[in-house]
Amino acid sequence: MNGLQIKNVTKNYKEGNSSITALNNASMEVKPGEFVAIVGPSGSGKSTLLSVVGALLKPTSGTVSINDKEITKLSSKALSKFRLQEIGFILQSSNLIPYLNVTDQLILVKKMTGKVTKEDQEKAKKLLTELGLGGKLKKYPNELSGGERQRVAIARSLMNDSNVILADEPTASLDSKRAHEVVKLIADEVKKRNKAAIMVTHDERMLTYCDKVYKMEDGILTLQK
Amino acid sequence: MFLALKELKHAKLRYTLMSIIIVLIAWLVFILSGLGNGLSTLSAAAVKNLDADYVVYEDGAKATFSKSLISNSLVDDIKKNKDVKDATPFGAAMAAISHGKKDEEKTDIAVLGIKPGEFIEPKVVEGKQLDPDIKNGVLANDTLKDKGYKIGDEVQVDSSTIKLKIVGFVEGETYNHLPVLFSNVDQWRDYAFAAPGSNNGIKDVVNAIVLQAPDLDPAQLDKSINGIETVTKSAAINGMPGYMEENGTILMMLAFLIVISAFVIAVFFYVITIQKTQQFGVMKAIGASNGFITKAIVSQVFVLSVVGILIGVALTYLTALVFPENMPFNLDAKLVVLYGIALLVISLLSSLISVRQIAKIDPLTALGRVE
Ligand SMILES: Nc1ncnc2c1ncn2[C@@H]1O[C@H](COP(=O)(O)OP(=O)(O)OP(=O)(O)O)[C@@H](O)[C@H]1O
Ligand SMILES: [Mg+2]
Repeated sequence: MNGLQIKNVTKNYKEGNSSITALNNASMEVKPGEFVAIVGPSGSGKSTLLSVVGALLKPTSGTVSINDKEITKLSSKALSKFRLQEIGFILQSSNLIPYLNVTDQLILVKKMTGKVTKEDQEKAKKLLTELGLGGKLKKYPNELSGGERQRVAIARSLMNDSNVILADEPTASLDSKRAHEVVKLIADEVKKRNKAAIMVTHDERMLTYCDKVYKMEDGILTLQK
Repeated sequence: MFLALKELKHAKLRYTLMSIIIVLIAWLVFILSGLGNGLSTLSAAAVKNLDADYVVYEDGAKATFSKSLISNSLVDDIKKNKDVKDATPFGAAMAAISHGKKDEEKTDIAVLGIKPGEFIEPKVVEGKQLDPDIKNGVLANDTLKDKGYKIGDEVQVDSSTIKLKIVGFVEGETYNHLPVLFSNVDQWRDYAFAAPGSNNGIKDVVNAIVLQAPDLDPAQLDKSINGIETVTKSAAINGMPGYMEENGTILMMLAFLIVISAFVIAVFFYVITIQKTQQFGVMKAIGASNGFITKAIVSQVFVLSVVGILIGVALTYLTALVFPENMPFNLDAKLVVLYGIALLVISLLSSLISVRQIAKIDPLTALGRVE
């Protein structure tokens, strides 16, 4: 089965003697071309879920499969390779590398896999142009607006042709006009490129762009729409 | 290299400061090594230049020429050993010379007694080699030219009646920091043992016998002949008075400097790495392996160190031009390369502390979690 399956995932954080259950038996499925949102109060476990799906964190129990591959079984070395190939992260605006220009932010992803080809250069340019950054290819992050930076992050998450896109509060640092632009862009790319995408957000107005909405409360995930 | 170079370009000031530190350390290391090399050349060049493998001393002399008196007749006994290709006498004495004019400043020199035509006689750069028929003929180190000595000069040896005749000049021959006069060993003996009884009653006395014998077993030679002690040439050099102490001091300074530089470089890169924790977390989140980030850091250290060390070398050669002529500064290209590589290795090793830090960075930091 293509896409993303999360089955009965539980995550406990141990702190001294007590333990916090950040995720409690969460299950969900995201098909290719589907854009899913997760909403919920602060501290409810949204980022934890994203970290587990993004192979950054091992769940206490349960399984996560991406394209029929169970990532919960991979070694930590295999995980970083898996992230590189299968997952596109869209993080907050501060998560660009300060000393790389816009094009190089994308090239870096390719550098991690090995040689950078002419096609990669072309691809980076094309992606950035599509996202309206054609005039800013050589700019550094500190010369960009928050929205522009987020668009670079989106382009970067698309650079490795991953099947899964994960976005943790991509609009947190944006005004509402920019936020709409950015989320619409993600939604468009998800449809066009047939990716399975999850976005964590606080902003109820962004939900119109999503196919499904899950609510997270005290580690329990429920389908809302 | 990709990340390393991009970042160097972006944070020019920070990394310029960093490489200035490496430049200064390298500069100091090279200057010290030049001084050390110059000093050790001054103190033992004539012995270093001997085309020999072993030196035979009187038993108990502890490889010091001035403590050793043996008879020249041993040369024949030693030559009987099948591993000895050649053997020749050697003697050393300190003296002062002048042109014999009134109120003239005397020049301190070392008189080394050798047998004319034997394998340890250095080649002249000017004039003639020693001649067994000219007993008082000497080969002088060419630095004596600056003091006004010429070929054909008959020089007066201080507090004796002996006059020596300069027949040729040789290059780079110093002994105990003094320029050398190579003399006929018989003439040397007349000077060094002028006082009756100072030869301890040994016939044809010399200080040592120098051997060409690459495959010699020195212990076996010592056993076969009474009252001798055979050591390698490098032990003979180390036995020169003050040689070990001088070299030891310089080596100690160099060692300290290299340890200090290791710490300075390690701390700087550690701090820089800590500052970049967030960035490295992001890179890890999007799939960078530890190896990828390690390569970025190590290649950065490599570039900075190589540039710093090369500038240090250039500065050292420039300062060498400015140093006064008589300063014992002698840059040995081999040593420069050696210390250059040592510094490079040290700074690469010290960057490993930062590399360890990278392995600990959790990609989760990229998610901007407030802890
Ligand atoms: N590394 C950790 N160690 C211990 N407890 C943790 C850790 N990370 C998260 N938690 C706890 O797990 C719970 C879920 O955290 P999580 O970051 O997933 O919440 P969230 O829904 O993303 O919140 P927010 O909307 O504020 O980002 C919280 O109670 C948090 O304190
Ligand atoms: Mg969160």
